[in-house]
Amino acid sequence: MKNYLVIQLARFGDLVQTKRLIKTLLARPEATVHLCLDASLAPLARLIYPDAILHPIMAHSAGTYDGNAFLKMLDNNWRAFAELAQLDFAAIYNLNFSGLNFRLAALFEPEKVEGYAWRNGQEVIGHWPAMAMRWSGFRRLGINLVDFWGAYCPDMLPPGQVNPEATPKGGGIGVVLAGRETRRSLPAPLLSRIAATLAGSRKAQRLVLLGGRTEQAAGQAVIKDLPAAVQRNAENMAGRTDWKQLVETVAGLDLLITPDTGTMHLAAHLGTPVAAFFLSSAWCFETGPYGLGHIVYQASTDCLPCLETAPCQENVKCLNGFADPGFQRFLVTGNPGHSPDGILTLRSEFDALGQTYIPMAGHDSDAPRREVLRRFILHHLTGTEPLFDELEQTFAQQLYRDKDWMTADTHYGIQG
Amino acid sequence: METLRILVILPLYGGSLPIGRYAASALKQEGHLTEVFEAPAFYPAYTALSDLKVTTDRLDYLQNSFLNVVSQSILAKVETFQPDLVLAMAQAPLNQQALKRLRRDGVATAMWFVEDYNLFTYWKAFAPLYDVFAVIQKGAFFEDLAAIGQPNALYLPLAAQPDFHRPMDLSPVERRKFGSEVSFMGAGYPNRRKAFRELVNFNFKIWGTEWEGDHVLEPLVQLKGARVTPEECVKIFNATKINLNLHSSIQADELVTFGDFVNPRTFELAACGAFQLVDKRTLMPEAFAENELATFSSMDELLEKIEYFSSRPEERQAYADRGRARALKDHTYAQRMNSLLQFTAERIPGWPKPRDASPIFGVNYPPELKRNILDLLSRLGLPEDVSFEDLVWAVRQQQGKLNDLDTSILFLDEWRKLYKKKS
Repeated sequence: MKNYLVIQLARFGDLVQTKRLIKTLLARPEATVHLCLDASLAPLARLIYPDAILHPIMAHSAGTYDGNAFLKMLDNNWRAFAELAQLDFAAIYNLNFSGLNFRLAALFEPEKVEGYAWRNGQEVIGHWPAMAMRWSGFRRLGINLVDFWGAYCPDMLPPGQVNPEATPKGGGIGVVLAGRETRRSLPAPLLSRIAATLAGSRKAQRLVLLGGRTEQAAGQAVIKDLPAAVQRNAENMAGRTDWKQLVETVAGLDLLITPDTGTMHLAAHLGTPVAAFFLSSAWCFETGPYGLGHIVYQASTDCLPCLETAPCQENVKCLNGFADPGFQRFLVTGNPGHSPDGILTLRSEFDALGQTYIPMAGHDSDAPRREVLRRFILHHLTGTEPLFDELEQTFAQQLYRDKDWMTADTHYGIQG
Repeated sequence: METLRILVILPLYGGSLPIGRYAASALKQEGHLTEVFEAPAFYPAYTALSDLKVTTDRLDYLQNSFLNVVSQSILAKVETFQPDLVLAMAQAPLNQQALKRLRRDGVATAMWFVEDYNLFTYWKAFAPLYDVFAVIQKGAFFEDLAAIGQPNALYLPLAAQPDFHRPMDLSPVERRKFGSEVSFMGAGYPNRRKAFRELVNFNFKIWGTEWEGDHVLEPLVQLKGARVTPEECVKIFNATKINLNLHSSIQADELVTFGDFVNPRTFELAACGAFQLVDKRTLMPEAFAENELATFSSMDELLEKIEYFSSRPEERQAYADRGRARALKDHTYAQRMNSLLQFTAERIPGWPKPRDASPIFGVNYPPELKRNILDLLSRLGLPEDVSFEDLVWAVRQQQGKLNDLDTSILFLDEWRKLYKKKS
């Protein structure tokens, strides 16, 4: 038996997006997969990864800083770490670029740690995540985070085996009120209009508003703006679902209308079709819904994707396309000719690397370069090169560093 | 003195290297959180540049660039470790630009210049860039330092490290290998070469380097003139009946030069409880009394005293005992480091700067956890009232994979940094 440990200390959406990696490890013969995560997400992880052994720790769930949290955290984590230290792991996949992850890696021999390791007091970043950080310079090209984490394994499962193909389940439409970052969510009146349009065009019998406790008021505002016919069938469940109820609710929907959120990834995991609205810092080629059967409405103004933490100097112009009356019409007709400027409508597809998105309306001007980059990454990861393009040299110069070349592991070399 | 964070910068190589290690070891023993910059690890790469067979201007450029990288590495370490004091040993690879940067950033620096200022004159460029400049000589040197802008000069003679320089029980094999009636451990300086030609009739062993080309002495040179490790030195000192200690000189006219500073071997031999015959130095009387060290002032006196002490083991032992007692009392690296830190505190206003110091233990501490943390403090040699911040660094200094408690302390520290900011 081989034990594998995945350390995923980030939030809801990231936990779900770790699925290609975890499923790949589970598919290995005689494998036992352990998942170390923030304790607050353990109930969700039990539902999503029932075959993994969970190791909940206090990473973010300790709450605000005070003496009590300090002591509780030390005491709890010490015990959790003691359990981890007793296990013999064949490999540890430490996924988050965070001081917490680097420190946790101190429990393990650095040679066994993929991602973010700790060697004699020094933080060490692996070649693959270091390379990925470099393509943050051209985020419009990027690759899906699910594939990025999956690619820690040379034997990663085909993308089609990660999530079920999405199909309507008969439970109406779900509307996610906001993501963690507010600028990349649609404002309540606009969300209300879009929800009403989609509910009307699909003759939805039920509209469910989803979100946390802090979105309850936003849910009321959305409901207030809905036409009476839709309003009658709308229910504000924001703040009223635990993880189990959220999973059950999302699993039964015909469609989930959502910005880039954890709930969106949950829907993709469950095979519930997603209509995702991506704007501001959210870029679907990085964190779009994984699997077949999803639609992404991606704002495509030249300033995107931006940094959520930086103030917007463009008056959030990426919202304009969604607010354009023509967009409502397009949602109903699906006619590309009705699609307003600044919106790119894409359907989810796979290629040899993993998740990608194909335009249904609007022009994806980055597509040719993105395709070359994806081939370049595929070649880097698998040694498979479907078609060479001279442009790859530009990527090579930007993504490979001198030290990668000079200090790379040579176990794939001819000396074998 | 409270627990300080001290970064010791070793030289790339050379005589101040072992002294730097003793100083770091003593600082740790005194309870200070001590980090060592291992410059010798960089030296092979530096020497590789000299094998390039390139033009001299290129070589010069490459060497300077390399040393700049080493200096930058020290600055990076300072940034992370945030020491109260950067203690550089003579020839430490901190370039002038880096020293200026440390001064600008308010990081206190000290140099322990364990060299002869008349032979090693580079101090003129570097001395003003350090906040404290400790030296092993007195007199005009202090005036010269003040004249070039270094008012904080401290006389800080060399010393011994008692847990290393100590009496040892040697096996018969070791006694045979390292022992002799008379021996000398050190490099083949001209005055020594000349003097030792007169000792060839004794049961005399010479240890150390740079003895090549002397047909008379060559048969006496041990290990084919290879470098002797500090551990081997201690064995030699312990195994020898009469350890010769002749301070070096680059000229051979006068065998005994009556120079000022006292060399490290004097203190090391004394701390080992080994008998030595040492040449007189002007700064020696304040370090050792007449009956604590057997001295000589001329070649004739040296020969005479070798003959005299050869047959008087009790007298040798009495000198050795008194010398050792004095060394342990007044000449340890721990004492030197305490003097240096005391001096620094007197001369640099506001030093050491106050830093965050959170207590480790609070109320309602789970007993099992507390017990384990106390064990950890003991393992790391930390006092029970050490701050959480210093504990974190001490845990980080450990090599290899860490245990559950170590890791949870590092983890907690990161969490604290994340969430303290937010709250």
